Amino acid sequence: MNRFLKITGYTIRDQMRHKSFYVLLGLCLLFVLMIRGCYSGQYVVNGKPLDNITVAWHVSKIVFQVIASGMFLIVILLSMKIFSRDHEDGSLVLFLSRPVFRQQYILGRIAGTWFLCLVFMFILHATIFLTVWVKTGTIIPGYLTASLVCSINLLFIAVLVCFLSLYLPDFMSAVFTVGILFVGYISDGGYQILNSEILKTAVPSASPPALWRIIYPKVYMVQAYADSIIGQSSFNNMGPIHPILNVLFFIVLITTLMLVVFNKKEI
Amino acid sequence: MIALNSVIKKFDTVTAVDNITYRIEKGEYFALLGPNGAGKTTVVRMLLGFIKPTSGSIAIDGIPVSDPEARKRVGYLAEHHMIPSYLSGLEYLRRHASLMGLVGKYALLEVDRLLEVVSMKGREKEKSAAYSKGMKQRIGLAAALLGQPKLLILDEPVTGLDPIGIRDVRNILEGLRDDGVTVFLNSHFLSEVEKTCRTLAIMNNGKILVKDSIRSIIEDDETLEDVFIKYTQKGK
Repeated sequence: MNRFLKITGYTIRDQMRHKSFYVLLGLCLLFVLMIRGCYSGQYVVNGKPLDNITVAWHVSKIVFQVIASGMFLIVILLSMKIFSRDHEDGSLVLFLSRPVFRQQYILGRIAGTWFLCLVFMFILHATIFLTVWVKTGTIIPGYLTASLVCSINLLFIAVLVCFLSLYLPDFMSAVFTVGILFVGYISDGGYQILNSEILKTAVPSASPPALWRIIYPKVYMVQAYADSIIGQSSFNNMGPIHPILNVLFFIVLITTLMLVVFNKKEI
Repeated sequence: MIALNSVIKKFDTVTAVDNITYRIEKGEYFALLGPNGAGKTTVVRMLLGFIKPTSGSIAIDGIPVSDPEARKRVGYLAEHHMIPSYLSGLEYLRRHASLMGLVGKYALLEVDRLLEVVSMKGREKEKSAAYSKGMKQRIGLAAALLGQPKLLILDEPVTGLDPIGIRDVRNILEGLRDDGVTVFLNSHFLSEVEKTCRTLAIMNNGKILVKDSIRSIIEDDETLEDVFIKYTQKGK
């Protein structure tokens, strides 16, 4: 446990040493700061002026999803090179020539990257939360809780990219991960649209989703669930399993497979 | 200290290590010699648990090498020692010390002492990207010596070192030998092996051809080079 925590700490420090981390952080903060202007504009919809609170509410919800999805890219970029870089720069030998279990190494590397991304995303979400509070005096309930809920997706992506990078070149593991996420977005996004209140009245008898769609990693659904926490609205789940449980199941499954594969790997 | 029992390692159809069995006793200063591709590095990698034998077993101090506890008092120096370019020599050594469980003031003093030993004091805060091959090798040796190891596994330790560096390493290793540390040396530098080692094995095509004390292997009118050539060229 102690060595796992040490490797987690080293991973956070190592990731923060790379210039690309600061470039990404800078770009994200710039984006968030640019959004600030949206909260003080005058908006008119159907001839009626909108109050600041309504605007802030909608903008914040959209930005929440943009940040949560944008973080996918960042976690992919930070995770895809973990093993190949460690192999090339001698870090792998550094860790494994010491009394460190391979499991401790893998879990430490992933936990460190995930924790860094979690904090990164939380800072961005908290910035929006505080901006809305300062600009409109309104606190959006559940905004930060929703951010923590979405962090489960980041862990899933980190685990998936790392697992794929054991078999594929780094770039290909990133592409495959994006592909897996994309299929889920289409499947779950389509389901959400078809089950929205407006479409339900227009298409009352939508057929139930296929089994693979119910089992497929519910990354989009976790975001939809987070959105329902912010909006304090109902959540249309696909199938009987909560999306958080679904994603957690895949995290455990892929991590177990990765540990088995890495244990057999020759260094 | 080290026990290899009927160890076979195959890479697809190639047998890199072919049924070797030997023991290295505590305090033994042992050299494994052999031409390129003989299987020496494979043995070293198996000793560290980096690769698993196809069959057979390897243990250090009675603990199977698959258990990381076997590496608790083991120092390792790789042939082309690599240090992450974003770490300084000091950070690298502190990381090693921490993973070994050395903490607090003792760890700092130990790192400091070893930087003196390998003549890297004054350069320890520079990023390793600025280090020469020989400097990296010195830092690697310091890392291997951390925590007063009972066993040192050295894979071509003098690669990249200048003559002064080679002499320094020899002096350090002789000091360790006198302190009773077990040393497993994998080297091509026959003259160094002849000067420092007490026992050796010559390996070729994955097999141990001979294992004995240097005095018994080398006859009066021979050098280690002659013996090495005699065994490795046999049957050619």
